[in-house]
Amino acid sequence: MRIRILCLSAAIFFGISLGASRAGSLRIISLGPALTESVFTLGVSDQLVGVTTYCTKPVQAQEKDKVGAAVEFNVEKVLTLNPTLVLATSLSDPKSVAKLQSLGINVEVFPAARSFNQLCEEFLRLAALIGEQEKAETILTKVRAEVEDIRGKTSVLPKPSVVVQAGANPLWVVPQDYFINDFIEYAGGENIIPAGNGHFSREKILGLNPDVIIITTMGIVGDEEKQKWEQYRSINAVKNRRIYIVDSDKFCSPTPEGFVETLKETVKLLHPEYEE
Amino acid sequence: MKNKTVQWFCYTGSFLALLLGIGVLSLCVGSAGIPVKDVLSILFDKQGLSVQHSILMDVRLPRIILGIAVGGSLSLAGVILQGLFRNPLVEPYTLGVSGGAALGVALSILLGLHHWMGWTLPLFGFTGALGVIGLLYMLNARRGIVRLQGLLLNGVMLSFIASSLVMLILSLSRAEDAHGIIFWIMGGLDEPQWSVIRVAILGGITALAVSFCFVRDLNAISLGEEEAKHLGINVEKTKRVLFLMTAFLTGLSVSVSGMIGFVGLVVPHAVRMIVGSDYRLLLPSAFLGGGAFLVFCDMLARILIMPQELPVGVMTGILGGSFFIYALSRLENG
Repeated sequence: MRIRILCLSAAIFFGISLGASRAGSLRIISLGPALTESVFTLGVSDQLVGVTTYCTKPVQAQEKDKVGAAVEFNVEKVLTLNPTLVLATSLSDPKSVAKLQSLGINVEVFPAARSFNQLCEEFLRLAALIGEQEKAETILTKVRAEVEDIRGKTSVLPKPSVVVQAGANPLWVVPQDYFINDFIEYAGGENIIPAGNGHFSREKILGLNPDVIIITTMGIVGDEEKQKWEQYRSINAVKNRRIYIVDSDKFCSPTPEGFVETLKETVKLLHPEYEE
Repeated sequence: MKNKTVQWFCYTGSFLALLLGIGVLSLCVGSAGIPVKDVLSILFDKQGLSVQHSILMDVRLPRIILGIAVGGSLSLAGVILQGLFRNPLVEPYTLGVSGGAALGVALSILLGLHHWMGWTLPLFGFTGALGVIGLLYMLNARRGIVRLQGLLLNGVMLSFIASSLVMLILSLSRAEDAHGIIFWIMGGLDEPQWSVIRVAILGGITALAVSFCFVRDLNAISLGEEEAKHLGINVEKTKRVLFLMTAFLTGLSVSVSGMIGFVGLVVPHAVRMIVGSDYRLLLPSAFLGGGAFLVFCDMLARILIMPQELPVGVMTGILGGSFFIYALSRLENG
């Protein structure tokens, strides 16, 4: 009997110490598709306990518990999952974020990056929170090298002037202090919309005579917008048939690795003559 | 007289019971899936450290209390304004007070002031509402006489101007800020700070008490302003006090919870159908009924598409509007 108790207590002891050694692992909830992707990239997806309905990449993310959509998320659901770290974006409902923080939950807000460098910094910050800095550094070194390589090769090519349209009614084009600008610049193009809020009239853009117009998909509106531009035969983009429609997901919520992929695609659009 | 007192306790008691019932129901359901039979034991759990306790006390309870405060305030403001103007289409938002609040919030987000702390947005919203109230009062009060028709028309115009200015700010601001403004306008009851909730519920109850001092005046005014004057009522003073009070009340609700439409229009009519047009019965019933309606809508908004949430304004609009059309057609046929 005594031996049995001894065995039992030993088993409990080992059980507890096993539990303690695994206490270093986190319970992460991600409130942004790009953040979810980054968590998977950093290889800690087993610590991810909740995502949003928009977290569709990678496919495994869709199997995780859902806590809400991009903006509205369910505070109750988050609490029931008992998280140790919540990753929020600047889109997440600020009131719900404040609520979680007031309940003592560690919420880290990742604002929308305004440049490639900021994207890298935020990736590093995420990695530091999860304890995967080394892995992140390795990934970033590789990504930066690739980006530099592309920049070096495209910088010697002639620079087409580019307008990226990301909104219709009202017309909204990407100014130089927005994230998407880096794709254009690094791919060897010139974004002719100055820094500011990006509300431009069609007249003004026609006056600037862009060589290339890139439209990010806005549902069915994308094709309609393309047809609208095509009525103006005098501008270079129409003359040379250089109006392109691209997937807005790739442009708008990237990860460092996704950045390189999208950058390569942008290079193909701006410099069809370019060979890797 | 004694008959009236019995009636008063009867109606107020039933609306109070309705509010409490919906409140308890709302406390029991949600996406966390806490079994209803465990709710009591979790609530009186002395340690109070469990996640479930926190969900009930820190997530659901504040929403319910704020729902009572905002729903009650809007409905009370609606019932008083409809009586003052003797116009069934008037609601708290008609006077442009909510537009002013939205403008204040949009400005503070555009100028980047909202990062200070949690109180900034409600404060700016309230300041905007006060601005509109002051302007309306200046435009329509001459020598202490408030011209109600002018008040209504100017209110509608100010509301248009304010919403145009909000559009202007939206078009000038960065995408992230624009998002914040739209988010605030959509409205919601998930306020993180207890202090704000306390102010809202205290404001609502104070307004109920103040307006109750004017029930006789309101009853007289519902016959017509001239008739009320002949009955010896100080009509001008009543109009002034009640207009300012309802405007404050609306400003307070809007600045705490954003724009939650329809509560201030539908609930007063529904309550009027039930209790009649005696303001002694109407005021407390409208307050309690408004609270119950908003808490109920918020509960549906929380659970209909779990784990996601709907904006509560969507629920109040759909439920309130369809109920009202139904009730009206029944009334006309019967």
